Amino acid sequence: MRKIISFILGTIVALNLSVSVANAAANEVRVAFFLEWATPNQEAKVKKTFDKALGVPVKWTNFATGGEMTEAMLSGDIDISYSQGLTPFVNAVNAKAPIKLVDIAVIYGMGGTTCVAAKGIDKGNAASKLDGQKVAVPLGTMADYVFKETMRVVGADISKMKVVDMNPEDGSAAFVNGDVAMACLFGGKSIKAAKEKGASLLTVKEAQDAGIAGIDITSVTNKFLKENPGMVRTFVEVTHEANARYNAGKSDMNVIAKDAAMDLAGTKKQMGGFEFPNAATMKSKYLNDGGILMTYLSVMGNMFATSENPALKDYSAVVDTSYLP
Amino acid sequence: MITGILTFLIIFAVIGSILYGQRLIKTEKSDAVFGNPERAKGGVHWVIVGSSFLLLSWLYYSWDIAKAFYPKSANELCQVAKVNESLLSLKYLFPIEERQHKSTALIKRENINIQNKITIIQNSTNLKDQDKELFVKLLKKTKRTIPLLTDEKLLETETKIKIKDLTNRITWLTEDFQKISYPPIKSIEEENKRIEDLKKQLGWGATGMEVPPLPESKRGLKFHTAAEELNKISDEFFALRNHNPQYLKLLEEIRKEIKEYKDALDDSQELEMTLIKEIKKLGQRIEYESVFPPNSLDEMERSIREFEVVQKNEQGNLIYIDMLLFPAGTIVASGPTCAEDGPGRWLPKPSDTFRIFGDLLKPSVGFKMIPMIWYEMMGVNRIVGFILPDWIADIMPGKYPVHSTDGTVKPNFKSKVLDVVTGEFEAFKIPVPTGHIWDSFLRVFLGLTLGIIFGVPLGLFMGLNRFAKGFFDPLVELYRPVPPLAWAPLVITVFGIDNLGKVFLLFMVSFSIMIISARAGASGTQLSKIHAAHSLGASRWQILREVIFPNSLPEILTGVRVAVGMCWGTLVAAEFLAGTSGIGFVENVARKYMQYEVIWITIFVMGMLGLLFDVTIRKIIDKTIPWRGKG
Repeated sequence: MRKIISFILGTIVALNLSVSVANAAANEVRVAFFLEWATPNQEAKVKKTFDKALGVPVKWTNFATGGEMTEAMLSGDIDISYSQGLTPFVNAVNAKAPIKLVDIAVIYGMGGTTCVAAKGIDKGNAASKLDGQKVAVPLGTMADYVFKETMRVVGADISKMKVVDMNPEDGSAAFVNGDVAMACLFGGKSIKAAKEKGASLLTVKEAQDAGIAGIDITSVTNKFLKENPGMVRTFVEVTHEANARYNAGKSDMNVIAKDAAMDLAGTKKQMGGFEFPNAATMKSKYLNDGGILMTYLSVMGNMFATSENPALKDYSAVVDTSYLP
Repeated sequence: MITGILTFLIIFAVIGSILYGQRLIKTEKSDAVFGNPERAKGGVHWVIVGSSFLLLSWLYYSWDIAKAFYPKSANELCQVAKVNESLLSLKYLFPIEERQHKSTALIKRENINIQNKITIIQNSTNLKDQDKELFVKLLKKTKRTIPLLTDEKLLETETKIKIKDLTNRITWLTEDFQKISYPPIKSIEEENKRIEDLKKQLGWGATGMEVPPLPESKRGLKFHTAAEELNKISDEFFALRNHNPQYLKLLEEIRKEIKEYKDALDDSQELEMTLIKEIKKLGQRIEYESVFPPNSLDEMERSIREFEVVQKNEQGNLIYIDMLLFPAGTIVASGPTCAEDGPGRWLPKPSDTFRIFGDLLKPSVGFKMIPMIWYEMMGVNRIVGFILPDWIADIMPGKYPVHSTDGTVKPNFKSKVLDVVTGEFEAFKIPVPTGHIWDSFLRVFLGLTLGIIFGVPLGLFMGLNRFAKGFFDPLVELYRPVPPLAWAPLVITVFGIDNLGKVFLLFMVSFSIMIISARAGASGTQLSKIHAAHSLGASRWQILREVIFPNSLPEILTGVRVAVGMCWGTLVAAEFLAGTSGIGFVENVARKYMQYEVIWITIFVMGMLGLLFDVTIRKIIDKTIPWRGKG
């Protein structure tokens, strides 16, 4: 009996002591990124420019969705999430996750994230043709946002559809098999595969006119921000340099394509739909008071709010522009 | 309140049950020896102890006990977290929680980095000698900037005064912090506004609110105010740079040289460009960091340490509450957001979980527009249409009607049969269950039943027949060890994202388990019993039915119990892949929205359903094979 009690007490004490160990001065930076999502700084990643600029090794881990990036940041395994979608970021800050937005990674039209509908369904008849049909959507991602916005534009009623929660790769496969009438996807390969059996519901231009745009951001854990502000600044700076190189047409596209796990043509096409604004544009157009990104944050925050995790009143508290070069 | 009472009840139940168990052992007169299964019979009191421990761990590790007994503690600890966070950057500079000064670590690292770079450049074969020389010169110059930053004599008076000023502010704060009157009331309007805001704030655990962020108590307010002041001090310190004129001059010189060199480069000289940029970054890294002479910040360090001691004192019993009632982690770890989610809190609180579960169970709410479990009215015609195969109509004599010239279609016998088999007729409605829980339950049930129906006969056959064993063995043994999840993507693409694919996956799981257990049961039959049956003149069928099957039943039913567990595990994974409904779908979506309570509910529901299955099977075991363990 005494043995049992002492064992139980011992276990409780041991578990209580296993509080996370304080990490020593950052001797590596752990960054999350996406495959099939070509960005100019992947050249810097491959050529170790980040490692050299930061003076410590950079460990890149690829994730399937932005939500998983947040989970890894919460558990303390990732310091910086590059190119996290705005939707998962909003979900995270609605749930009060201690992370901050420090930079805009990519601004993209509907080229990168889009809803592909089966042949015979177009903008005009989508409202009636999608009624009662199954649609594949990776819930809680940017594709979910695009899905909601697109359905608003074409006037279709989401509540009458059967939404199947699928990752882009699975959603694309299900669409090609004919299991779903429409698939909302992100990622070059998935969209390409799906487009062989259908077409985007909205063209890039139409989506732009309707005010649908995707924004991917760079988020950093509060702890890392507080402890290594210099490193965050350097990380953002190297990214912006890579963007400038790309904007000047100097990037080595082969390297980027290989690192993104895509072919060269696909990479060029995908990046053609991307925009990498410089710091000045960000400050004057996106991240300023009432700027595009700030408006998006509150719109999306309310769109994805749940009763447990309601929208924040003010999203400027989770945005810190002081690290921009 | 309820949690508090519950906690005491559980503790009493545990103590009571243990005492009862002790007494029972003393008074019980049993001739059962060790090894006799009779000894494991009964023991409800130990079930109470087991489940109580489970509940107690849940209450404890979800911090619900803390909430019940110290409802204000989370709010206060959140204010402490604000102080901790405000000091984080400053503390990180000194060996308070680290081993080294941050500047020491940086200088050490950068010296190595510079040395490495020099070696790389000198060993490079692609560089011109004159470039090499320039690069090495620049690197050495960069290295020379470090002593300029760490030289006490070069530290400017202005910077010194500023550091002194900030140090004093921390010291003053430390003194004020201990006073009862801290924080002083600035103005009546502000104080009124604060009280007004506080009234609007919901309590710990209210919907959409984990820990209320505004300080609720006097102690909390103290920490909150101090955190604000410390944040200002921290910001001012990090705006400060130890860039004395000598340093700036050298830096300027290096920059100029780099720029001149860069401008002279053309596009083809990629390597040179990269290297010169790296050299520039190296210098920048040193420039960005707060490097000061080794002893110039000693006073500041001391003042921070002093403040730390004082703030720990001021926390009072909070430290103990934090240590004892917030196991594994603490709200403090999440910083000023006051979030509970994260590595610290392992489980959502029972009180929140049940409240949200109650909400989800309402058929009008549900999850993603589908109720958890409810009923809907379904016409009998649809059930008939589902059960009767459509080809019945095809084999009826005659042809399907063709429309006539006047534009009407006249139904005939064949088309009427078709209407029946496809369920296209009017019929009364009966309620059928629906919802996430029902969907998952049905999938597991179907997969399991199909597995039993096909697996048991095949297993028995394999245990008795040489051909069957040889023929099916490679097939079964090859696919059995593969984890069911590995099949999932393939099965989903072949059988689609609907129930068919998921049920098939579950069927594959239960099928192999049933084969193995039935086969083991069949081949484990005692030969003497079979001989006895033979000599009594039993036919083959009779032997199979009356001797072999009952003998393998214990194995088969144990197999079913194993299969149930495996099926649940696989189902959740299958519902992750393509979710339309079901518990796994709920969990996966909740994960994306970070609804940890909902995730916990799904785990709970799955456990309960698993238990339900298991209890049912145990009842069946007790009823059908009462001789088990007595043969």
